[in-house]
Amino acid sequence: MNSVAAKRLFQEYKALSVDPPDGITAGPVNEDDLFLWEALIQGPEGTPFEGGVFPAELKFPRDYPLMPPTMKFTCDMWHPNVYPNGVVCISILHPPGDDPNHYESASERWSPIQSVEKILISVMSMIAEPNDESPANVDAARMWREQRPQYEARVKADVRRSLGL
Amino acid sequence: MAQDGQTSINIPQLIAVAVVGFLAIRWFMSKPSTPGASSSRRNTIDVNKIEQVSSVFPQLDRRSIAWDLQRNGGNVEATMERVLGGRGLENPPPSFQPNLPTPATTQNAGGSTATGRKPNAPLPDLITRYNLQSRVSGKGKEPVPSEEQKRNAWSADKSARADALKKRREDMILAARRKMEEKERQA
Repeated sequence: MNSVAAKRLFQEYKALSVDPPDGITAGPVNEDDLFLWEALIQGPEGTPFEGGVFPAELKFPRDYPLMPPTMKFTCDMWHPNVYPNGVVCISILHPPGDDPNHYESASERWSPIQSVEKILISVMSMIAEPNDESPANVDAARMWREQRPQYEARVKADVRRSLGL
Repeated sequence: MAQDGQTSINIPQLIAVAVVGFLAIRWFMSKPSTPGASSSRRNTIDVNKIEQVSSVFPQLDRRSIAWDLQRNGGNVEATMERVLGGRGLENPPPSFQPNLPTPATTQNAGGSTATGRKPNAPLPDLITRYNLQSRVSGKGKEPVPSEEQKRNAWSADKSARADALKKRREDMILAARRKMEEKERQA
């Protein structure tokens, strides 16, 4: 509990509670374990995800903030950059340093000056604007590229269903 | 001479008989099958259309999709609109047994092993997951958090903090649902 990681996570939790960014609610599932969080992200307006609320789980490593957490949506998420099992693929969640494949610059990747808030905001903009390079869900990426109306219809149907309508 | 004439007439005659006979047999054989084929075409909906709808709404039963497509004359848009409009698809009568393609199901099964999630097992919705059924029917609008509540967003007490976070989560979900319901009522 008194580790650097736990202290930092507690501070971030406090900051996110006192001054939460628009459309984001996040905090530990249980304060006894600060290394497992649950976040809710609102679907960005003007996208087929608009109106939806998307729950995700964040797991922090013991050496946070040196290493980034992993993030996994716990709802149906039909998105090119979300693996079919819900795991989010975004550069800010990649370990610090240079990308061995030279796709991302070091500044886009995780570093201790990033934060949970920055991750969630980045994920929100990723939801709005998928990155078509190296998709995590190939089928969703193909539908997004080639059959946009169908992609949007499917996302809207998922959103509706997730709200129990 | 007479014999020569007979043979020279017989060869074209034989050919003519053979051709007429062939056409007659073909006509007889094809005649019963043609109406059968067209009626079965009427009963089978274009598999591609079923696939199209199914790729957008993987949780729907293919038989229901086929039934709806059959009833609206194979209009994919209309079927999708219907699902999106929240009306859902009717359950087809038991007698409706379209020939649904087996490759599609195996393809689907292959996809599920690759992705590790069952295609026809959607995750529970948020209302079920957060036990909000009792609060869904409440028509009243959630009060907008006042400045005082905002200032109390961080309590010194651990369980009060947990409750505040839980409340924010639930309010966010309920607000989203109400907004969506409102939007659908207006549409």
